[in-house]
Amino acid sequence: MNLAHVHLLLNHVPTIGFGFGIGLLVASLVRDSADLRRASYVVFFVVALVAIPTYLSGNAADFVLRTQPELLQDVVTAHQNAAMLALIPMEIVGLVSWLALWQSRRWHQPAVLALSIVTFVLMARAANIGGQIRHPEIVAAGTAASAPSWPSPAAMGAAFVLDHPWVWPICEVFHFVGLCLLFGVTLLVNLRLAGFISGFPLADLNRLLPWAVAGLGINIVTGMLFFLAAPEQYTQNSAFTWKMGLVLLGGLSLLYPTMFDEEPDSAFDILHAAMTRRLIGVCSLVIWIAVIFFGRFLPYLGTE
Amino acid sequence: MASVLAQLEQSGLATWIHESGLLYGYPLILFLHTLGLSTVVGLNVAIDLRLLGVASRVPLASLDKVFGLLWAGFGVTAVTGVLLFVADATKHASNPAFFVKLAFVGGGVTIVALLRRRVFHGGEHGRFLAAASLGCWFVALTAGRLMAYVSEFIS
Repeated sequence: MNLAHVHLLLNHVPTIGFGFGIGLLVASLVRDSADLRRASYVVFFVVALVAIPTYLSGNAADFVLRTQPELLQDVVTAHQNAAMLALIPMEIVGLVSWLALWQSRRWHQPAVLALSIVTFVLMARAANIGGQIRHPEIVAAGTAASAPSWPSPAAMGAAFVLDHPWVWPICEVFHFVGLCLLFGVTLLVNLRLAGFISGFPLADLNRLLPWAVAGLGINIVTGMLFFLAAPEQYTQNSAFTWKMGLVLLGGLSLLYPTMFDEEPDSAFDILHAAMTRRLIGVCSLVIWIAVIFFGRFLPYLGTE
Repeated sequence: MASVLAQLEQSGLATWIHESGLLYGYPLILFLHTLGLSTVVGLNVAIDLRLLGVASRVPLASLDKVFGLLWAGFGVTAVTGVLLFVADATKHASNPAFFVKLAFVGGGVTIVALLRRRVFHGGEHGRFLAAASLGCWFVALTAGRLMAYVSEFIS
């Protein structure tokens, strides 16, 4: 199994996942159900996280396939640009969905619905162009895929980093700023979950969580700029694969303090919650430390 | 001075750091340095945000325990920092970004001690100290991260 295989496993998740999320959100509007609405936000948040390794493994698949002469390279490039064009609004939907889970406000609902439909259309377009890579029989005459009228953010991002020597160092500075925000706030939350600090309800830490998510967002943007500028430095490195898998888990672990911060009332629930919280706090802490480990070891490990 | 730095760089310790391989040499020290600094800066940022009014319901007394972990993180960062300095003493000693970083780390650490005494045990509101702390750590982080680029630029 290589990363091209991972791309094949993941590449239907963004489109189908978003379709599923839109379905849940529409159902929540029809039924006026808070549970369905929250479920749709969880789906959007999770799919937005999974979309990142989906995008990254696409570059790895490109690297694997590049040696094959029958590959339609301009279709690959068009697919990559279409994917980035869809990934950007998808991450925004993921962020807004997290905000809606963090603080249920009604106004999120129409905003998320409108943006998720636009994203779905863009992602379906990316998926459609992607399908043409290995299926030349479905390519329309004159390869509509490479029509120049669509913006190409992947190429623009790469050019932005490569043309300006200051961009990479500045991104590194902000990657560390994001790291400290994310690691510091989650560390405090995890210490509370694990019981190292106590004396106040978990919900009191709620207001700090957006700072962790802001850190995650800064690092996704700056990390993506590194990746766009030097994709092979990352796709050909197994430490990076580990790091991205762990970032996905770490991002998912943010859902727990966001959604389950009510204090338990019955004696059984108190015991149960204490064990669950301890486990999640310790796991999340280990995950983020491992993310830093693989990030720092990236230049040394995993380059065969 | 130059000879002392060169001696450091050629010491057995420096050679060990550079040549002892992947898991216990330079990369491991660099990882521990990053882990330590993200613990110090990250926890301090969280405390600063609390003092600036974010999550203001969290009682300060409950956060007092966090300082122990923060100082442990600082210990790890300082020890690994000395090792990283020894490994490339002449390079770092001629790098202005390194001294900017040291100065602002000094400032940040002093503020940690002041926060503990004046705010956590002295009852001051600490908003000014918290803002200064955020500023110090931002500059220290920026200077530290740019060290490699500055040394490339001046050489």
